[in-house]
Amino acid sequence: MRARELSEPFPTVGLDSGAMQAAQLLAGQRLPGLIVCDEAGHPYTVLPGSQVLRFLIPRYVQDDPRLARVFGETASDEMWGRLTTSTVREVLPARRDLDELPIVDGDATTIEVAAVMARMHSPVVAVVSQGEVLGAITVSRLLQQIVPEAPSAR
Amino acid sequence: MTTTLVIAAFVGAYVLIATERIHRVAAALAGAAAMVLLGVVDVHVAFFSEETGVDWNVIFLLFGMMVIVSVLKQTGVFDYMAIWAAKRARGRPFAIMVMLVLITAVASALLDNVTTVLLIAPVTLLVCDRLGVPPVPFLLAEVMASNIGGTATLIGDPPNIIIASRSGLSFNDFVINLAPIVVVLLVVFIGMCRVMFRSALSYDEERVAAVMELDEREVIRDHGLLVRSGIVLVAVMAGFIAHSALHVEPSLIALLGAGALVAVSRLDAPEFLEEVEWPTLVFFMGLFIMVGALVEVGVIEAVGKVVTERVGDQYFLASSVLLWGSALLSGIVDNIPYVATMTPLVQGLVESGGNTTEANALWWALALGADLGGNATAVGASANVVIIGIAARNGHPISFWHFTKYGIVVAAVTIAIAWPYLYLRYYAFG
Repeated sequence: MRARELSEPFPTVGLDSGAMQAAQLLAGQRLPGLIVCDEAGHPYTVLPGSQVLRFLIPRYVQDDPRLARVFGETASDEMWGRLTTSTVREVLPARRDLDELPIVDGDATTIEVAAVMARMHSPVVAVVSQGEVLGAITVSRLLQQIVPEAPSAR
Repeated sequence: MTTTLVIAAFVGAYVLIATERIHRVAAALAGAAAMVLLGVVDVHVAFFSEETGVDWNVIFLLFGMMVIVSVLKQTGVFDYMAIWAAKRARGRPFAIMVMLVLITAVASALLDNVTTVLLIAPVTLLVCDRLGVPPVPFLLAEVMASNIGGTATLIGDPPNIIIASRSGLSFNDFVINLAPIVVVLLVVFIGMCRVMFRSALSYDEERVAAVMELDEREVIRDHGLLVRSGIVLVAVMAGFIAHSALHVEPSLIALLGAGALVAVSRLDAPEFLEEVEWPTLVFFMGLFIMVGALVEVGVIEAVGKVVTERVGDQYFLASSVLLWGSALLSGIVDNIPYVATMTPLVQGLVESGGNTTEANALWWALALGADLGGNATAVGASANVVIIGIAARNGHPISFWHFTKYGIVVAAVTIAIAWPYLYLRYYAFG
């Protein structure tokens, strides 16, 4: 099966979209990530849900996870509140390898899609044809296609 | 001809280490390999000679302490102390800075400087974040306190470990001769912090509640591990204090302590080896072989003769040059290779002086100069590089010059105080 057949309609956000809006999309539709488009509407990168958490949790807590336990409710609310004043651009990692986008062509095979996901640790890849986003393939959609269906429970 | 090539290889490797054109471990190993290829170093010289080989006392003392730190880290005791201190200080920035400086200095005297700042920096960032004050002054104060505090003991700073192994000075010798001046320097340093970082010490009283809300008890999950580790650490320190009387090398005490901690903690190997800096240990091995080659071909002896003739019985002059010269050079290059190179020379001077109090003071001049000089620039000590890296990762970059602006003042003042200390203690009333 080709990528265009596997792809599903997928929400996109812009670089200057609000981070809270992006997080709400992720949460509301239970998505593993979002496709981020640049000003021209071309796919720019994928924002995985884990990157949103990485943005919210201070680096010093990531370095010393024990510190996560000392925060009270007020501090937690302040932490999540950062999303309301940030954009998607700010949530994305500071450096991005422009040659490495989790994007596949509409004609890509399942192995090609899997290889891109594996190499880039991305839970979602955008399917693009002639610069236009056709949709996206999530890791669960891909696995559904390549893994035999489990025998139904008796 | 061989001697010239050995000197060239040594200087070449040293330049690579100082300029960091390649990783310092690669540079030290390349230097050591050159000595082997030149036929100066063989397996006996490299591994089994006390004078010219790898100093296994230093390697295993460092290794043992790194394992001890790996286990202590799991207890969360540093996070606990720092948050407790911030709450005791009622969120007042200068009081917090003083407490963190004291915790860091004491911890650095008992543990490695790099490890101490690695443990204290994340919780410092947390406290500053909650209080809404810039963390850079706090991180700078801590790393400088770490370099000052580490000067106090044999195990506090890697240069001291090298000096102790080559000089035969005991843990107590270091404490008796260096700890008093370190206490004075810390008091002065705290006063300097008040002046240097005054602009960062203002705060919003409403943010204090955010600090007081932190619950330090949450970071200690395994109280049993904390108690067991505390008991072993006290035993290790007692072992260091008594090592001369017991005729047991500090390296063996550190290894026994590490083994005991591993046994009582029941941690898995990846956890108790987490803080072992293998690259640092290999770097030391390479350095020892490089310096050993200089000893082997007689370069150190020749330089030592010239220096001894020049010094004569002017030991205070020699101490002064060593103190200020070491401080200057340690600010420019990492103090570990510098001290590794200087110890055979100082050893020759001390022995030719008959191991008198005046001659032995050269060791203290070297230790004070190298340890305190490490504060001068961003690259003067490994702990400086580590704290700058942590600050950058957390979005608070510290430039070379920003560090140096404060570091050079701290180094100059502390050395200027250490200088009359050496004179009064070993030459005027020695």
